[in-house]
Amino acid sequence: MALISFTACNAQIKNATTEAVIIAGNCGMCESTIEKAGNAKNAALVDWDKDTKQATLKYDVTKTKRDEILKRIALAGYDNQSFLAPDEAYAKLPACCQYDRLKKTPAKMEDTITSEPHEHNMMEHGHATEMKAEKMVEKPSSASQKSDPLASVFEQYFALKDALVGSDAKMAASHSKALNTAINAVKMSELSQETHMVWMKVMKDMAANSALIGDANDVEKQRQYFIPLSQNMYELIKVNKMKAPVYYQFCPMANDGKGANWLSKENEVKNPYYGDMMLNCGKTVETIQQQ
Amino acid sequence: MAILLMAMTPIVAQKTVHYDLYVRDTVINLTGKEKHAIAVNGQIPMPTLHFTEGDTAEIYVHNQLKEGTTLHWHGLYTPNKEDGVPYLTQLPIAPNTTHIYRFPIVQSGTHWYHSHFGLQEQIGMYGSLILDKKKSDASFRKGIDDLPSVPILLSEWTDYKPENVHRMLHNATDWFAIKKNAVQSYAEAIGAGHFGTKLGNEWKRMLAMDVSDIYYDKFLINGQPESQLSQFKAGDKIRLQVSNAGASSYFWLTYAGGKITVVANDGNDVEPVEVDRLIIGVSETYDIIVSIPAENTAYELLATPEDRTKSASIYIGQGIKQLANPMPRLQYFEGMKMMNDMMKLNGDMDDMGMSMSLQKMDMNMVMYPEMQQKDMKMGNMDMKGMDGQMNHTDHHHANASTSIKTLNYGMLKSPTKTNFDKNAPIRDLNFELTGNMNRYVWSMDNRVLSESDKILVKKGEILRITLYNNSMMRHPMHLHGQDFILLNGKGDYAPLKNVLDIMPMETDTIMFQANAEGDWFFHCHILYHMMAGMNRVFSTGPQEPNPYLPNKEKAYKKLQMESNRMHFMFENDFATNGNDGMAMLQNTRWSIGTEWRLGYYDHHGYETETHIGRYIGRMQWFMPFIGFDWRYRKDHKHGGEENLFGQTSTKDNRQLFSIGAAYTLPMLITLQGELYHDGKFRLQLMREDIPLAKRLRGAFMVNSDKEYMFGLSYIATKNLGLRAHYDSDMGAGVGLLVNY
Repeated sequence: MALISFTACNAQIKNATTEAVIIAGNCGMCESTIEKAGNAKNAALVDWDKDTKQATLKYDVTKTKRDEILKRIALAGYDNQSFLAPDEAYAKLPACCQYDRLKKTPAKMEDTITSEPHEHNMMEHGHATEMKAEKMVEKPSSASQKSDPLASVFEQYFALKDALVGSDAKMAASHSKALNTAINAVKMSELSQETHMVWMKVMKDMAANSALIGDANDVEKQRQYFIPLSQNMYELIKVNKMKAPVYYQFCPMANDGKGANWLSKENEVKNPYYGDMMLNCGKTVETIQQQ
Repeated sequence: MAILLMAMTPIVAQKTVHYDLYVRDTVINLTGKEKHAIAVNGQIPMPTLHFTEGDTAEIYVHNQLKEGTTLHWHGLYTPNKEDGVPYLTQLPIAPNTTHIYRFPIVQSGTHWYHSHFGLQEQIGMYGSLILDKKKSDASFRKGIDDLPSVPILLSEWTDYKPENVHRMLHNATDWFAIKKNAVQSYAEAIGAGHFGTKLGNEWKRMLAMDVSDIYYDKFLINGQPESQLSQFKAGDKIRLQVSNAGASSYFWLTYAGGKITVVANDGNDVEPVEVDRLIIGVSETYDIIVSIPAENTAYELLATPEDRTKSASIYIGQGIKQLANPMPRLQYFEGMKMMNDMMKLNGDMDDMGMSMSLQKMDMNMVMYPEMQQKDMKMGNMDMKGMDGQMNHTDHHHANASTSIKTLNYGMLKSPTKTNFDKNAPIRDLNFELTGNMNRYVWSMDNRVLSESDKILVKKGEILRITLYNNSMMRHPMHLHGQDFILLNGKGDYAPLKNVLDIMPMETDTIMFQANAEGDWFFHCHILYHMMAGMNRVFSTGPQEPNPYLPNKEKAYKKLQMESNRMHFMFENDFATNGNDGMAMLQNTRWSIGTEWRLGYYDHHGYETETHIGRYIGRMQWFMPFIGFDWRYRKDHKHGGEENLFGQTSTKDNRQLFSIGAAYTLPMLITLQGELYHDGKFRLQLMREDIPLAKRLRGAFMVNSDKEYMFGLSYIATKNLGLRAHYDSDMGAGVGLLVNY
């Protein structure tokens, strides 16, 4: 039934284009709020997934724009890749929907006119006073609290890895698309110089491989592309370490016996290249951790 | 050598800054439809003009329109002949000619310029006019005047032709209210639990009102609904030079990045004051400072028109966009309830002794939900119990105790002394701002410009003008040619302004010394109020002849005529039982109207009634008229009929002159008595346009000839509707209602 109504709505959106975007949120209630806020009759249809935090926007390019839809969603209280919700809108969300928000890095202000209350202002925005000016210091790697510009890239990578562990091609594709979007959304100006250099080197391949996984519906193909993707990810995380330890693992049987690596947040081995068949095959070869 | 240098210095300072402005008709598409607009040098808004104090401005206006135009330099001290008011300081610039405005720049600050001709300002003829201080200026403020600055020009766009908007307003259209979802009908009132409020409102003969009159399709900042200033980064402070170039919209300014620091108003410096939000009246300017508090974030400066139907945004900074909290919709019935409390039955406003002034108590506040949740609770406040207890300090307190700090005029303080010599003689003038929403008549002391002579003022005289707003709308009153001080409790440091926003029931006092020679316009800057005649002229004499205006008397008559034009209105119901319709031609005081009922068969009859009347009194509830009646109906079975007075009616064949009068009763019912030249008399009660639901209107008529009618109409579009009615002569009918 849901499918039918979806198709019915769909049919009325002409000149349609489809785009994947990232929208913060927690639960099923978030999903309905986000979709209701974003949908517009005959103009826009939003389909948000609470697991990937990714939404598919389908809209009539002659009637609306991506940012018009995302602005409505932000005004409903949900931060997304283009807009941050007004604090008042976020505060009005039901408790279960109050997802963890991104923290802003306060600017250094010089007082010029009067004694400015900006610090006070930042407090209102939830900026903890202990926030450090250097941006590359990693924040805890729990799914939400990320001041690291690459945090969402890593998160989506781990989600993709987990999907491959479960041999779920559909889920893997979905996370990989989200990873692709996250890769494209990274602001290079926010990266440290060292990370930036590596990023420039690996970014293109990462984007290509994540797109290929996203388009593939065969889990074996996805695993093929996951090998170089993991290699690039390893280079990246070496220079841009997360606060929590990350484990670089290796399975000698993968890749037709040539062996292959992957990254995991757990030391316990769960092999993404074989899934159930040889779940625990492999070992941790390196622990990547901040000093 | 030194002498030579001395001689040269003034020449260097006397820089002439030259601009060429090409005024052309153009087509603009802001809504998906191509509409006529006017562009200057190919752009809307007009280009920003920059000068430095001490420059000489030389502006060539090349008029390539098919009609006249003029440009007014809003807030500038110019010689009178450069002021740009057609028929007051110059003749309109004729099509395909060039006019040169040349004047010295003797001040600094944020100003703007616009066409003062007809309704051209509504369709694109407005631009920023920025006058920089000289670096050596003693008033140069470090940390303010040296900040990076950006002109911000607020405006609005309607797809309707402004001439049509103007006409529709005079015809009391409710189409704009339908578009804004602000009809405030009986059904909506009942739904909101405000049936009694609506009834009380109509009892006091008020039409539903809004804080603004017109539906706009778009609101614009620098010509765009949304734009971004990505040249700024975290930590930057930016001075925004905001001018409200809207033809009729007040704008709220709020900022997602925290407090707004107000540093100047109407081009004059004020002591910095930090607020959460401010409202900028039509044609006012404010300089505000905002900062970007975090990295990689662009913060929204949100401009919300007072009716809060839509908004415009500009994002300041780069990166992800932090939105400001949108302002919630108005609660119309709360406002209506308060208006009921404050309107006497005779149409005067009653401030319950609160002596309001200086925007300190926003009487619209009652309509703002976020205020209600706090401690104001105006909607439930017992107005009658207040007995003048409420003084300015209390208002201040009321504002301060809510968590949102809103700017008001009481907070503006000039950094320099602005007082006049205490011993100098002062001439007092009083104006009562008057109006009538039902017929869209806006006036001062119940006189429009066409009923007023110029106010003669001796040069150098100090004028103290007290204004009281006895109308239901706020009015931004603008004085040309010079600034006035607003007596706001800051003593010798009263702020200098050239626009005074005065809210309903407020009393404000302004002062200025009439040093500038010439004829200076003083008017409401809501374009459609100005065009309705809410204007005066201060004439400071003796005057030199004005080369651009050889015959001032004749020109003044023309100016008076311009603001009291006739408005045409037409309506016809093409129904199954006949045609039912009317046509009217009206101005401020006069009304020429014809009604007709034309059957399709002789036995249904044909009739027309024509009335020429004049509205009397400020509220215009009374209209005596002379008329002519013509009817023909093929012999009815029972021949002559008796009316309620025992007279034999001549309903079947009548060609009669009449005198009579119409009077608007409470509930907006028109009582009309008419005496025909054959001695017959007719009394009639009638009401049309009873707002039953958002798009549904009821109507009824009953008279002493034992005729009656009742009907229902549904408003489908601006000019089309469906109507069902029953008429005692012609029976039941349904039809298509066409109006213009």
